[in-house]
Amino acid sequence: MNTSLQVDSPTPFRSALEARGVSRRQFVKFCGLMASTLALPHRYAHAISKAMEQVKRPVLVWLEFQDCTGNSESMLRSGSPNVGDIVIEMLSWEYHEVIMAGSGQHASDALERVVRECAGEYICVVEGSIPMAENGVYCTIGGRTALDIARQVCANAAVNIAIGACAWDGGIVSASPNPTGAVGLQEAVPGIKNLINLGGCPHNPVNTAAVLVHYLTFHELPALDQYRRPLFAYGNVIHDQCERRAHYDAGRYVQEWGDEGARKGWCLYKMGCKGPEATYNCPTVRWNEGTSWPVKAGHGCIACASHRFWDTKSPFYDRLPTVPGFGVDVKAEDIGWTATAVIAGATALQVGANMVRDRLKPPPADSDTHEPTNTSA
Amino acid sequence: MKHTQLTADAAPWRQPAPNQVRLYVWEWPIRISHWVMVLTIVSLSITGYYMHSPYFLAIGHTAYVMGTIRFVHLLSAFAFSFAILLRMVWFFFGNRWVRISQYIPTTRNRWKGMKAIAKFYTFVAWSPVAYIGHNPLAGAAYAVIYLMAIVEILTGFALYSQILGSHLLTVLIGWLPRLIDIQWLREIHFLIMFGFGMFFIHHLYTAILVSIEEHSGLMDSIFSGYKFVPQDHLKKELAEAPETK
Ligand code: SF4
Repeated sequence: MNTSLQVDSPTPFRSALEARGVSRRQFVKFCGLMASTLALPHRYAHAISKAMEQVKRPVLVWLEFQDCTGNSESMLRSGSPNVGDIVIEMLSWEYHEVIMAGSGQHASDALERVVRECAGEYICVVEGSIPMAENGVYCTIGGRTALDIARQVCANAAVNIAIGACAWDGGIVSASPNPTGAVGLQEAVPGIKNLINLGGCPHNPVNTAAVLVHYLTFHELPALDQYRRPLFAYGNVIHDQCERRAHYDAGRYVQEWGDEGARKGWCLYKMGCKGPEATYNCPTVRWNEGTSWPVKAGHGCIACASHRFWDTKSPFYDRLPTVPGFGVDVKAEDIGWTATAVIAGATALQVGANMVRDRLKPPPADSDTHEPTNTSA
Repeated sequence: MKHTQLTADAAPWRQPAPNQVRLYVWEWPIRISHWVMVLTIVSLSITGYYMHSPYFLAIGHTAYVMGTIRFVHLLSAFAFSFAILLRMVWFFFGNRWVRISQYIPTTRNRWKGMKAIAKFYTFVAWSPVAYIGHNPLAGAAYAVIYLMAIVEILTGFALYSQILGSHLLTVLIGWLPRLIDIQWLREIHFLIMFGFGMFFIHHLYTAILVSIEEHSGLMDSIFSGYKFVPQDHLKKELAEAPETK
């Protein structure tokens, strides 16, 4: 693949990367990673690197609402030299509270200026959920509600990227009982244009970079699913990509934390792993430069990239949700077995009572008209 | 006529009592679907419970326990679905004793009959009221069972569509996991299994009870299709609700 890339005079982009300590070789590797993450043939790495070098650094604003900054952290600390370095270099980051130099009024002005001067051209990334209760007073920045900011900034963006579980569907903030009435971006700003959701708690920076790279290279969003998530990242079941799957099929399971099975790397199904019901490319892209991912590290998947996973996929250490109306420590199977036992007991009682009835039953009075009757069960 | 203790069963080698007729009640699709349901519910429960909570671990390096069990579960699920489908068809094309009207109590008479049978089961009445087909209470109970079966099939295929990734199946059933989260579908799918277990216990009890008490050959009838019915009773039922067949 290296041969297909012409070695020409360094572009400003490449010099900028070099200044950040990203060598050409690392950049080429990055392009290869992007192509494979997007499930594109390898030759596209060349197209990607070309596009990256020629692109006119589009403006990006990164809004943070009700969040933990986990997605920003995930992006900025993704490795070394990190994906973040390259992504930061390929775009012109005009507003991101965590990393921008300006603060207060200067920061707000910067955002205002982007919305005014680059309307319809900039990329807007949203991190965190948006509270709707009480007109959105639960999250205000510079005196404006998150809802107000999102409406204005997202309406004028060329592309909107909802990053992480909270921006997608409200995440942990909107988990029951959701006191602030938090929702995801697409619910807060109905009719939002060119939205792409990148669920996950946090998002995987490689996927986010791949979406940006796809947009800059092909000038369109990748193929999306019904939740407007890119299929390349959310199209496959975790369980089908898991390295412990062979143990699952064989029937070798970790029975409790730290047992022999756990040490041998057996399947975490009985420990509540939600891999079978979750989709994500976590097992293949992994984290920290492809070092590991939760199941590899020995913890079951919690389906963090699934819709409203805090409510729907918990408890994380049991196979099934707790049945509403029963205590949190009562499992579905306890209820099932108890009910079955009650029915069995009641039936046994009926059998006994029937014997008694048969003894006491008076003989048929007028056997002429009532010969043995037929009844069906 | 003097009361005679009948020992006859509705088996072909037995003769009906003088006052009885040997009546073909359960047609072949009824019997086939019944037994396929019995076998598949048993195998689905055993394999399904393992899939929920693997109750033994594999031994050896070439084991394929969960894989095999899932395969059996899927095979049984298809057989079960076809049995239910066949039975559904016979709700509309079967004889008068297996039609939909036997299951969903729509007439006043059926509701009244339900009360009368309930009296027998709660030991208020000495004897049950006679019916050639299902008694109204049993019929209504079966309606619930068929409903459960349909829910099992729908949730089962919704779960299957997620692992299969087939376009056709997703088009057919993909709407369900969007309405109800896949974990709740799994929960419903799991809990209904116990419903079948409870039904199984009680169904066996009532079938044996009625068979012993009434000497109608009920237990044999689900094999042979024939029941022994008092002549006058048959006449009465035919007169009360003249239907085709
Ligand atoms: S550890 Fe989880 S994802 Fe992996 S095979 Fe087991 S159940 Fe599936």
